[in-house]
Amino acid sequence: MNPSDQSSDAYHQSEIADEIDEAALAEVMRVTPLGAAVLAGTAVALLVLGYLAIYLMVFLPRGTVG
Amino acid sequence: MTDRPAEIHEKRILGTELLWAFGVGVLVAATLSVIVFTALSRDINPPSNVERSDPKTLHLSGEFAEHNLGTTVGPDGRVTVRIIATQFMFVPRCIAVPRGREVTLRFASPDVVHGLLITGTNVNTMVVPGFVAQVHTEFTRGEDLLMRCHEYCGLGHSEMWATVQVMPDDQFKPGPDGRVSCAQR
Repeated sequence: MNPSDQSSDAYHQSEIADEIDEAALAEVMRVTPLGAAVLAGTAVALLVLGYLAIYLMVFLPRGTVG
Repeated sequence: MTDRPAEIHEKRILGTELLWAFGVGVLVAATLSVIVFTALSRDINPPSNVERSDPKTLHLSGEFAEHNLGTTVGPDGRVTVRIIATQFMFVPRCIAVPRGREVTLRFASPDVVHGLLITGTNVNTMVVPGFVAQVHTEFTRGEDLLMRCHEYCGLGHSEMWATVQVMPDDQFKPGPDGRVSCAQR
């Protein structure tokens, strides 16, 4: 296509996908889930610990309620 | 051949997702278990009392007649506090409660919806006209606490508050009628 054709960006150089090596992609995808799990796991663990800390150190010492 | 790497990382991603789901399931189960265990062993639950009253005749007779408000110690030693939440005050304005003993607080409203909480405690409930709100608690801190209305009830809402005097046993002495009043300070 003629790059000076302004009708669509689909054929613009920056919009055309790179040629990816499948082996390299497999390697990246092997490591990525671990990093995502560590990040998400840390965030959830902090939330749960924070919740339990407030429950045990603030709510329960304030006495029974019912 | 190009399908094999795709299968392998799909399986790996599925494995990671299942592990994550299991981990989150364990955390949720642990949190819920702590709550249920505490509720069963320490008798802690959100106050939930369904008891009707007639807001129009509240002050005239029955449990919430004016002469019956405040702190009373029954013949069995149970401490009951009866309070009316109205626009824009709590009646009585100061209540005496013992420290370290179970207290039953009962509230009624003759006009609009009020809410109250006692600072430093877990006492937090709504008072709806036509119903009696009841909260059982044990005051662990021996000091003067603030009881505020926390549900907007009109222009004087910000001035609607009362004092809760938490007294140690040697000061919490009921009179012959079983009533206990605030210490004059």
